[in-house]
Amino acid sequence: MNKPFDDRAVERVAELLQVAERIAPPPDLASLVERALGGATDSFFDADSPIGPVYVAVGAAGVRYVAPAASAEEFARGYRRRFGRLLVEAAEDKAEDLKLRVSAALAGERIEVPVDLSETTPFQRRVLETVRGIPGGEVRPYVWVAREAGAPGASRAVGNVMANNPVPLLVPCHRVIRNDGRTGSYAFGAGQKIRLLEREGVSPRELAKAPYLATPTTGIVCHATCRDARRIRPENRRHFRSVGEATAAGYRPCKVCRPVAAA
Amino acid sequence: MVRDPLAMRLADGDPRAPRELVERHYPELYRYAFAMLRDRPAAEDMVHDAFERALEALGRYPEERLRDMALRPWLYRITLNVVRNRLKRVREAPIEEAPAASASDEPDDSREAFLDVLAALGRLPERQRTAVVLRYLQDVPYAEISAATGWPEGTAKTLVRRGLARLRDLMIVEDKDGGRR
Repeated sequence: MNKPFDDRAVERVAELLQVAERIAPPPDLASLVERALGGATDSFFDADSPIGPVYVAVGAAGVRYVAPAASAEEFARGYRRRFGRLLVEAAEDKAEDLKLRVSAALAGERIEVPVDLSETTPFQRRVLETVRGIPGGEVRPYVWVAREAGAPGASRAVGNVMANNPVPLLVPCHRVIRNDGRTGSYAFGAGQKIRLLEREGVSPRELAKAPYLATPTTGIVCHATCRDARRIRPENRRHFRSVGEATAAGYRPCKVCRPVAAA
Repeated sequence: MVRDPLAMRLADGDPRAPRELVERHYPELYRYAFAMLRDRPAAEDMVHDAFERALEALGRYPEERLRDMALRPWLYRITLNVVRNRLKRVREAPIEEAPAASASDEPDDSREAFLDVLAALGRLPERQRTAVVLRYLQDVPYAEISAATGWPEGTAKTLVRRGLARLRDLMIVEDKDGGRR
């Protein structure tokens, strides 16, 4: 079956085969390259934020990761370790609109940006979604987040979720404070958390004194930063260090901000 | 072992590296897929699938592994698998053979001869076809063919030799049968 190998016909066959350029690459190579990248990588851009310059990674379903980094390389490495995906720079034209909206949202504006929390566990997602609903100018204690997320008493677990929040500022974990009213720690520094809250009109000093506020006119006790509590006239303000103290004094918890009695 | 600078840039997180990887290898992987399938949309699909798999895997690999990767034979291995699965599917559900798509718009004699070779290639047993295409169409060295296919180098050489001899026979028969030239 092995015929002489060096005859002219074989040479000609081999010669023909070597002219591989005869199979021209597809004319729309650039768009095929983008398409191949699109499905299997995520993209990123940089943005300004109240905690300084950050990088923002975006997948098909929305923003997945926000973090400061010394360089794009460092950010991409961190992202790969955490999400198991490669990052490529977002195409200018496609990212422009999202970039503007994300920058506004990072700055604290109430603007809807898609956030993709699919990499988190169901508990983490419930916690993050709960925190996402805390409006600017207000804060809530860990114990409240735990109860609202369906895990009463899991303050410490909530603290862990906050520490690993993949999308800080978009999920405003800086608005979650200790159960005793002190602001507590923050992934980007305790001082940074205080600055962010002051920027939103919250007074950490007042909170530390009394995280709950009640008024005899309604007999209701609220979180001190609750929209309704902030309307209480100064002469009617009754300060409490816990909901327990307030209920012992005859106040009932607000149905809007739902303070947790077991704080 | 000479390290591939692009593998190191991937490991370092250079965000331009993934695009460069696709740009650098798309044409040759496309040529391979086209030579095996002789169908432009199918070849594009195969290369797309191969790159999706490759990029997803690269996202999951630890840094040290990325740094040491021989990207070219690794990409070939993935593309070979994707093409092989496709050939298997086609065999199981036989469809009309796609007409040989043209490689450029201006036909000439040598191009015609080349398309004849491609047609003859399509009639080789799959392993011989893979070996011949990699070695002669793609100019992949035997060490990399071995890395991409998992065959020992000696096996790859044997497959190439038998494939070429078979091709020659096929083309002589065609010449006699059709008297095309």
